[in-house]
Amino acid sequence: MDIPILSLLVIIPLIGALATLFMGGQRAEKAKYVAVAFSAIVLALALYVTFVGYNNMADLADLKESYVWFKAAGLQMNIIFAIDGLSILMVLLTAILVFLVVIFSWHEEDKPNYYHALLLAMEVGLMGVYMAQDFFLFYIMWEVTLIPMYFMISWYGGPRRHYSAIKFFIYTHVASVIMLIGIFAVVFQTQIGAEYISFAFEAVRNGATLAPAFQTFFFGLLFFGFAVKMPVPPFHTWLPDAHVEAPTGGSVLLAGVMLKMGSYGIIRVCLDSAIFPDAMAFWQPIMIGLGIFAMVYGAYACIAQNDLKKMVAYSSISHMGMVLVGMGCNSVIGIEFAIFQMFAHGIISGVLFMVCGIAGHNFGTRDMRLLGGLAGKFPVYALFMMFGFMASLGLPGLMGFIAEFGLLFGLWEYLVSQGLEVLIVFGLLDMMLTAGYYLWAMQKTLFGKLTDKIDLTHCHDIAKNEVAVLAVLCALIALFGIWPTLALDFVMPFAGAF
Amino acid sequence: MIGILDYVWLVPLAPVLCFVIAGFFGKKTPQGGGYIAIAGALIAFIIAALASYDYFTSDYYANNIAYTVEMEWMAVGEFSINFGVYIDTLSCIMMLFASFISTLIFIYSIGYMDDQGVKKTRYYAEVSLFLTGMLGLAVSSNYLEMFVFWEVMGLCSYLLIGFWSFTHPEGDEAAFRASSAAKKAFLVTRLGDVCLMAGLFVLLHLFGSLDYADIFNFDIATVDSNMLMVAILLMFAGVVGKSAQFPLHDWLPDAMAGPTTVSALIHAATMVKAGIYLVARSYPIFIHCTDAMIIVAVIGGVTAIYTASMALNNMNIKRVLAYSTLSQLGYMVLALGAGAYLMSLGIEEGEPELMLLGGAGYAAGIFHMINHAFFKALLFLCSGSVIHAVGTEDMRMMGGLRTKMPITAYTMLIGSLSIAGIPILSGFWSKDLVLEAAFAPFHHGLGAGSIFMVLFILGMITAFMTAFYMFRMWFMTFCGEPRGHCHGESPKPMTVPLCILAVFAVISGLFVVFDGSYYILESLRTTIDTVIPFHTGMEIVEEIFTAIPTYVALVLAVVGIGIAWKLYVKTPYDAEAFKPENHGALYNFNAKRHYFPELYNWISWKFGAGVAKGVNALDVHVVDGTVNGLSNAVVGGGEGLSAVQTGYVRDYAGLVAVGVISILAVFCLIFLYGGGF
Amino acid sequence: MIDISFFLVFSAILFGIGMFGLISSKRGLVTLMSIELMLNAANINFVAFASYGGHTDGMVFVIFTIAIAAAEVAVGIALMLNAYKIQKTTEVDKLSTMRW
Repeated sequence: MDIPILSLLVIIPLIGALATLFMGGQRAEKAKYVAVAFSAIVLALALYVTFVGYNNMADLADLKESYVWFKAAGLQMNIIFAIDGLSILMVLLTAILVFLVVIFSWHEEDKPNYYHALLLAMEVGLMGVYMAQDFFLFYIMWEVTLIPMYFMISWYGGPRRHYSAIKFFIYTHVASVIMLIGIFAVVFQTQIGAEYISFAFEAVRNGATLAPAFQTFFFGLLFFGFAVKMPVPPFHTWLPDAHVEAPTGGSVLLAGVMLKMGSYGIIRVCLDSAIFPDAMAFWQPIMIGLGIFAMVYGAYACIAQNDLKKMVAYSSISHMGMVLVGMGCNSVIGIEFAIFQMFAHGIISGVLFMVCGIAGHNFGTRDMRLLGGLAGKFPVYALFMMFGFMASLGLPGLMGFIAEFGLLFGLWEYLVSQGLEVLIVFGLLDMMLTAGYYLWAMQKTLFGKLTDKIDLTHCHDIAKNEVAVLAVLCALIALFGIWPTLALDFVMPFAGAF
Repeated sequence: MIGILDYVWLVPLAPVLCFVIAGFFGKKTPQGGGYIAIAGALIAFIIAALASYDYFTSDYYANNIAYTVEMEWMAVGEFSINFGVYIDTLSCIMMLFASFISTLIFIYSIGYMDDQGVKKTRYYAEVSLFLTGMLGLAVSSNYLEMFVFWEVMGLCSYLLIGFWSFTHPEGDEAAFRASSAAKKAFLVTRLGDVCLMAGLFVLLHLFGSLDYADIFNFDIATVDSNMLMVAILLMFAGVVGKSAQFPLHDWLPDAMAGPTTVSALIHAATMVKAGIYLVARSYPIFIHCTDAMIIVAVIGGVTAIYTASMALNNMNIKRVLAYSTLSQLGYMVLALGAGAYLMSLGIEEGEPELMLLGGAGYAAGIFHMINHAFFKALLFLCSGSVIHAVGTEDMRMMGGLRTKMPITAYTMLIGSLSIAGIPILSGFWSKDLVLEAAFAPFHHGLGAGSIFMVLFILGMITAFMTAFYMFRMWFMTFCGEPRGHCHGESPKPMTVPLCILAVFAVISGLFVVFDGSYYILESLRTTIDTVIPFHTGMEIVEEIFTAIPTYVALVLAVVGIGIAWKLYVKTPYDAEAFKPENHGALYNFNAKRHYFPELYNWISWKFGAGVAKGVNALDVHVVDGTVNGLSNAVVGGGEGLSAVQTGYVRDYAGLVAVGVISILAVFCLIFLYGGGF
Repeated sequence: MIDISFFLVFSAILFGIGMFGLISSKRGLVTLMSIELMLNAANINFVAFASYGGHTDGMVFVIFTIAIAAAEVAVGIALMLNAYKIQKTTEVDKLSTMRW
């Protein structure tokens, strides 16, 4: 009997979300057990899928599921789930992070049932986005992720949560509507004359070839929709606000997996040479330029921040800029390491946001001007903070370095082909700045004199569940840093086609 | 062949396991994991020694082939990056002296760090990782793998220099300084590291591989020579950062904020030697770029004299040693640069004489690195012993310690004599070979001869300065009247390593007499096709003692010691004269390190924080301002339009009617003017 | 046979009257009657096209429309009666208690 594993990856968190949602009142305390059970099942399924892929990537094709959802009035929408080298790491990342966030938020006391329901609902959307092979399903799932995150911020967030939540929602929604226009244009244009206009990726890829000008324009619309999600400056300002106000679990998922939806979409749709064979001629320099700009701009913005979490949020912009550079290269190396960086940044930013969140709820503030000398009193906290920062600044032996090396080498190869070798200086500048702001932040928060600006007498070092979660993430960072092939083997069959 | 060579990967693995064990379980063991760290270093040394023996007796050595084992680490597009070991004499030398000296330093730490309590665990874990970095670097089989260990050392130096960056025994101010020093060390070396990484991009682009074996066997004539020059200069920028060459030298004096044992580790066994190793390892490609080699030599020569000048009036015993390290590193780079220059011309013109001199320069650089490792470890550990006894690093508070701690005093005297270049001691041999290499281009009338002549003179002056400031330090510390409190001689775990190192500081120079340069050059023979001639040990000895510069340098050294004696022993100590306000402008200029720290700060504030503030303002006011302005405009427009919403169905119906009629009118117009269907 | 344009023009005039009544009158009953006029204008169009085009589809729709119009008038007049009972007026502008 064939078990529809990929559908289960979407359905199980959906059931979990509904189950926790209705556990109001006395049972709200129990919601976390339900949530942990459901997310564990999803994680187990994702690991199983990964294992199948590890044995033989070709076997993943057998998991594909295809159902017709709606076929009338000349339109055909399908529910098609499939996993390939691009999505497998993202699915795994989502499953890991959601599971760990549930454990990390073990002591959430404010309406825990809704909190866990929102987490699981987000997982539904994320899994859907990463596995959908139909444009309509992809768009629906894309929007599904948006709504739980909105409530996450506006219910559980900080003091300016309503402003941030609305800003996040409207900003990204406008972008996704523009993306929808692009999707419709591409779908309808490729299938002129078909009896039923199918939204399936496959149908679009096999459809009529688009005129170059048409490609360039609608590539732009789709790219804009994805770029806002990534986010690429100057369309990034929703991100720092959303992160600063979001609860820790929300931030982890937002930075860890939701930003990746943007870059995933670009690789999946925009860079698909069956759909847009000619558009890159126009867009490639723009993507590279924007990527380099994002790297340096994000890094500089980090230096000026006082809020630990805001700094980490800007560093996400900088690191996603690097992903954009890799995608812009449109080469094997670029795509390979763009995907790897998406995975790496997902895990590393999990550590970073958890560390910032702990600062907020343990010490009462994330303001670096008020913190100081924490390493002496809270050694475990300092250890994890240092590990996360070092991983993020690209210390060799950890995951971030592999991605950074590959992406900058991809950029170098592209620049050589264009005769613009000098521009690699910006890549190097970004590496310097990254080291600079992280070390400065560590000096301000961990070293020197133990701060007397806040009352630390009743503060404790981090809790056991938090240690466990952080230790798992750090172990993963080291594992993939020392043995990157473990992840790159999944990516190579996909990236090799570029 | 006893088969240990196949297990040479255990050399870096042993200390990294100790890092893990000491880190997790060190608190439960005696000395906070100190014995675990010692065991790790010792095991690494034993395996390194056995593997080296194995290599020297194997067919690999006999046929001038490097022992290489590799496996694929990751695929970068169509390129494949490997992970493995590459053993030739250079690797053997590096891992032998690094593990040996580290073992002694770790033993010494048992005594020196005894009073540090729970912090010891962290210390021993971190130094074990540090040693891993160095040993891994030595056995790596390709540039990226080497870069990984190179950066691991950067991390460890950050952690160890900042060992007291919180809860410092001397208070919060000192803790802050320690954390600043650590940050500075990491960032300044990072500047070099990113350049090195860019250099690796160029190499990978040019050669399609980063394996030593592939790159060195590549037909370099087919490579774009401009691109190669860029690669070499970028890699050398990495060396400038890591080995603290001018103008990135300023992190090293600050790095004295860490424990003295850490300074010994950084200066003698690990970290700064990595840069020298990189130059030596990359010789086969460096020698294809004659012009770049002049730059290398000039940087080395300038660093040597420039940093020696800063040691002349420093009052901090560790700082004096730090400057002397910088200066000696300058010597090594000078020798390697001059050697590569000579060798590149020699190979180009097929001139065996020049190749011989080039080989001698290469051997001089490596040889000086080995000798320096011994006497600098000795000197630092002696200074640690002094600081341990006196409780201060200020030499104005010392004096007359010779009688109270004789072992420390006399072992330090041996170290000082060695670094000053007194014959038979190790420093004499290698320093002379270095100066000879710098002199050779002028002697043979080569193109850049005059530049090298200047560098040679600078080297001579440096030799004089070295002798002066080393003995100034020794006299101020150990001679004259006692000016401070002293606990007496240090415990056994500290003095025994001193004695062992003193022995090596005396005899390691004799290596050259027993054909040392032949063994050193074996590393080049495995990678360069051309046969490189060499001098036997006896020929070198003969050469050294018949050359005039030898005697000039010797006289200068003796004069330097004499002046130091005259100023600091003969003249009675005058406390007034040492007060900071009684010094001239030149003194203060020198003591402020020629305003280099200010320059670094200025650059980082202007180009880091300054630009960052601008970017942040732009972000908040312009970029986000536009977004908020846009949304306000939409909301405002909506509010304006909401006036239409009267709530009367009648009005809505009217609007609908108007709308329908106008649309109809438009269609009719289009229909009329469009000329029908 | 009469040209179809006569029916269409007639229906348009009828619709216009209905529209004018809807917009200009404040009285609820007149509003209801105006709506009725507009519905019947549409019905005339349906019947005319059905008869000229030769299908019966339009006729079927008219049956539906008449049924719905009857129901609507019943509901509408019931509303007005109740409104008059409570508010003592059938002027729609004054029936604004449930307005935002």
